[in-house]
Amino acid sequence: MASNLEFLLGPKLPPAETSGFTVRSMAHVVTPLDQPSNYKDSQLRSLDRHTQNDLLAKSTTLYIGNLSFYTTEEQIYELFTKCASPEDGGGIKRIIMGLDRNTRTPCGFCFVEYYTHAEALASMRYVSGTKLDERIIRCDLDMGYKEGRQFGRGKSGGQVRDEHRQDYDPGRGGWGAQAQRLEIERRREVEERYADAQDGPGAVAGGGGDWKEADTSANESRLKRGRSPEDEGDTRLGQRSRLDEDGDAERM
Amino acid sequence: MSYDRPHRGGGGNRRRNNRDDYDDRRRDVYESPAEKLKTAIIKLGEVDALEELPRLEKQIRETTPLVISNLSEAFRIAVTEQPFKIPYYAALLRRLHDPAEEASTVDGPSLGKQILEDFWKGFQAYLDKLAWRETRSCIHFFAHLTVAKLITTESMFALLQSFTAVLEEFGVSHGRAKKAAVCAAEGLMIGGPILKPSSGEHVQEIISAIQAYNDTVTSPKWLIGPLLKMYSDEVSSSTADELLDTVLQALRTLNESDFAETASSFSQPYASHADPDLTEFTPFELPSVLVPPEVIELDGLSTDSGEDAQVKKEEWPEYFFRLFDNDITPDPKTPAGYAVHTGILDILDIFEVNRKECARLLLEYPKWTIPGTFKPKPGGTTVPEPVAGKDWQLESTIIENVLGAYFVLPEASHKSIYYIGVITELCKLSPSTVGPAVGKSIRKLYGTLGEGLDVEVARRFAEWFAVHMSNFGFQWVWKEWIPDLSLAVQHPKRAFMRRALEFEIRLSYHDRILKTLPPEMQAPEGNTIGEQAPGPDFEYDDPAKPHHDSAQGVLNLFRGRAKAEDVISHLETLKATLETSDDGGLVNADVLIRSIAIQSLLHIGSRSFSHLLNAIERYLPLLRSIASGGASSLGGGGNAEAKADILTASAAFWKHNRHMVAIVFDKLMQYQIVDPTDVVAWTFINRAEIRELSEATGPLSLSAFEWDLLKGALDKANGRVMIARRKVVALRKEDDDTRARDKASGGADGNAMDVDAEVKPDEAPAVDSPALTTALKAFASLTREQKGALSRTLDGFVSCLAPGASDSNPNPHSRVVISEEGWNDRAGWAKDQWNAWETWGWYRQFCRAYAPYLRNYSTTLWTVSFAKFEGSTDPAADLLKKTWNIATGQE
Repeated sequence: MASNLEFLLGPKLPPAETSGFTVRSMAHVVTPLDQPSNYKDSQLRSLDRHTQNDLLAKSTTLYIGNLSFYTTEEQIYELFTKCASPEDGGGIKRIIMGLDRNTRTPCGFCFVEYYTHAEALASMRYVSGTKLDERIIRCDLDMGYKEGRQFGRGKSGGQVRDEHRQDYDPGRGGWGAQAQRLEIERRREVEERYADAQDGPGAVAGGGGDWKEADTSANESRLKRGRSPEDEGDTRLGQRSRLDEDGDAERM
Repeated sequence: MSYDRPHRGGGGNRRRNNRDDYDDRRRDVYESPAEKLKTAIIKLGEVDALEELPRLEKQIRETTPLVISNLSEAFRIAVTEQPFKIPYYAALLRRLHDPAEEASTVDGPSLGKQILEDFWKGFQAYLDKLAWRETRSCIHFFAHLTVAKLITTESMFALLQSFTAVLEEFGVSHGRAKKAAVCAAEGLMIGGPILKPSSGEHVQEIISAIQAYNDTVTSPKWLIGPLLKMYSDEVSSSTADELLDTVLQALRTLNESDFAETASSFSQPYASHADPDLTEFTPFELPSVLVPPEVIELDGLSTDSGEDAQVKKEEWPEYFFRLFDNDITPDPKTPAGYAVHTGILDILDIFEVNRKECARLLLEYPKWTIPGTFKPKPGGTTVPEPVAGKDWQLESTIIENVLGAYFVLPEASHKSIYYIGVITELCKLSPSTVGPAVGKSIRKLYGTLGEGLDVEVARRFAEWFAVHMSNFGFQWVWKEWIPDLSLAVQHPKRAFMRRALEFEIRLSYHDRILKTLPPEMQAPEGNTIGEQAPGPDFEYDDPAKPHHDSAQGVLNLFRGRAKAEDVISHLETLKATLETSDDGGLVNADVLIRSIAIQSLLHIGSRSFSHLLNAIERYLPLLRSIASGGASSLGGGGNAEAKADILTASAAFWKHNRHMVAIVFDKLMQYQIVDPTDVVAWTFINRAEIRELSEATGPLSLSAFEWDLLKGALDKANGRVMIARRKVVALRKEDDDTRARDKASGGADGNAMDVDAEVKPDEAPAVDSPALTTALKAFASLTREQKGALSRTLDGFVSCLAPGASDSNPNPHSRVVISEEGWNDRAGWAKDQWNAWETWGWYRQFCRAYAPYLRNYSTTLWTVSFAKFEGSTDPAADLLKKTWNIATGQE
């Protein structure tokens, strides 16, 4: 009955000025591709389905699966930028590469975080199921990156799916016997790239938050008082506290 | 403990391994009988619509209880979401108008008529909220029903006339007029065979009204034609068709033959049905309607200098690019061609939510057209007689229309990647038939490069090419373009090859793409692809280079994760040392220090995008200090210069990788180290300092890469205003709600105090909440920045294209390439001429794509950039002003 009503009244359209997207209820004839899957994060078991759905309905983060171990963040950036709406205040906020817990090398998944929900939906519709680095990748709406989630949860340190995989997959570590020259070169780069990956709070950058009015008070006072030697210290202190603020904003 | 979900029904701990082609989004739902009937109606024609009609009619009649609203809702969904089936729904409704065989004793209106009456209410609702697509589909449906004699011709005319009335509204927007005109025209195309005999005069009135409107929109067409001659006002009509032009031409053709061609253009499955017995049957009288006015949302926000800050996305005429001849794909100017063109575009638009289904439906489209429209599938069981003038190629027709929609200027309705994705899905569904159509389209488009193909269309072409190839193993026969390596290095064909390969590399990697090329293109003298993977270039890496040791010192601090303030003081010491050193007088110590610091920081952040973010975030205080000129003794005075130095150092570090330059600039803006205006200014001026980076070095000009940087900066500025606006609107609403609540709770008090007082307390000026005050202040700052960025861009273009005698490094060809003689001499053009021509192209794109923003500031921007041309006869100044005036709606 609710859906009948919605059909008659039409979905609530966002004001044309504030959104580049037109929301349409089109579930009658075909299933839209931007629905989240049934995946439920086993580490968030405490959340009920309802809360999860609420989070997903606002989510700006995507889980990307079936990546080649060799695919770089820049390749991911290039493809997912095509769903970005910078003119609407969007863009790619950050990419978090999934790493093998033990070896700190990419293990075939990542998170892409946008600034807006609409961009995440666009990726579901347009990019999920297409190829990146010659593999068909899969996108799923995600509830958002949490510390530690960049690491594989399989016994051997990678993704669980690779524990059970029985096929030969050159893009996911199965390259041994028929190693190709190109793959070896890419492998060398990939093995070194994340050797410095940290975990714990603050290990993963935020990507930059909303625009904030610059705190001019420090500068002004500095200008006013001219070249007093203490000023340098003031400014730096002021700036450091601003950094901390940024960090916290991202961490919550 | 994994991303893998339990195997459904597999039980226990079994995990699904091959999950990626597993789609469990469809959830089983219980269907009530009413739902089942609805589904049956919506699914009409899964196999053969004509055969299914009697069965479906029977199923409907036999359902008890029969709820009319349920049936009419099914019709509404079916008609608005599957417009290609509309003729069959008209036929179904025609059948439902016949009295039921068994229960003929029941009096009252037929089932069909009851459904139609209820359907009408839904139409009224679509119209009330100006849901144009749904409204238009309903009009198609009504037009078919009029031909089937279920609706009176008078009321159908009245309906169409209420849409042509929109065209005469004062100051009607083009978007609104265009949609209204299409509704009226298409209703007339379908209903013509019965409408014209009833009143030829009304038919003529409708056509004339559309014609009169279309005559008023000539100048915008010049700015959005996909193939252009700068010197001419005309848009080449052999390669592109404008929507309203095609509508009118198809309509006039139909009218000339008294709509005899309607039956061969639009299916009429109801035609075989006997006319209703008019002694017993009264056709439905469509109630009269009024197309409601557009709702203009006034949030009353204006910039601090009083300009209107509203963004009204201006809607332009629509040109659709033609790739094939009329015997291969239909000419949309003919009635049958128009029907196919619009039928395909409807599917493309409606099924945007599911590109895979969209592709399937597009390939199934012939099923809904009149037999003989498309060439039969090879190996099909029945081979219909080819119809003269039709017999088109399905795949070429689909690709031509999808690309046509993708290339609409200034921007397509959906994101590029949607159209690209649909073509990918089409190729996956039927590689052997769609593949060749894609190949032919690429060759055809490539052939128009250098013949006036718009620069933005060329950019989209390169984007499509690269993403498409990345989905199909990068298999393109590059060797066929080897002869074009003899063209000028900046010729659009060569620029296309470079750009397409650069985009391919971004999606893949250098060695992989290099492998796909013939030796002639791999060779450095082919100037098509870089020799090396596009890595970073740390200027101070080589121990033999000057300042290597100083840079190592800074680099080591970063590597050791030194505190930002320690790096700042180290840089100050370093600067002092440099200034007192032997060559201290030779270098600008500030510039050098900035370069060393930024390049070293980018160096530690060069491993990946995340490393870059980590490096920036860890050293934000340092970056801010550099940006404010703080690392220099100049104090805060050197801001713009310091920020330009930051951008220059970043661009120098990534000079072999334009993708990274764009990414670094984006994040420098995001972290507010630089502002969009800084990036715009840098792009026009400083960029030329880094030779390797730009295709457009030499005289001041812009190529696609610089355009991408400008666009990145402008979109950032505009996006921030958008966010700030939303915030203000939300906070204002919050404030209003709070006030209303306070008023409600304090209401009793207020009333008791003084009912008669002249000034009621709650009419005192409202005080904004602190949050709202802050948001309004941010909005003011950001609109200022937006205006600055737009103004700086316009100014940059003006100095590139109409350089004054005193301007540094002017392009001497900017005036030649826009003249007829100049254009006709293009076979002899060298790099600088093509650069100038491309810069003109980006100026056009700037004006038309950002017109909604430019309009708000048009008076100021005009004064700043164009006042100096007062009384000038410079052809470049004239073209600059003409383009500007058309874009901002002043011509």
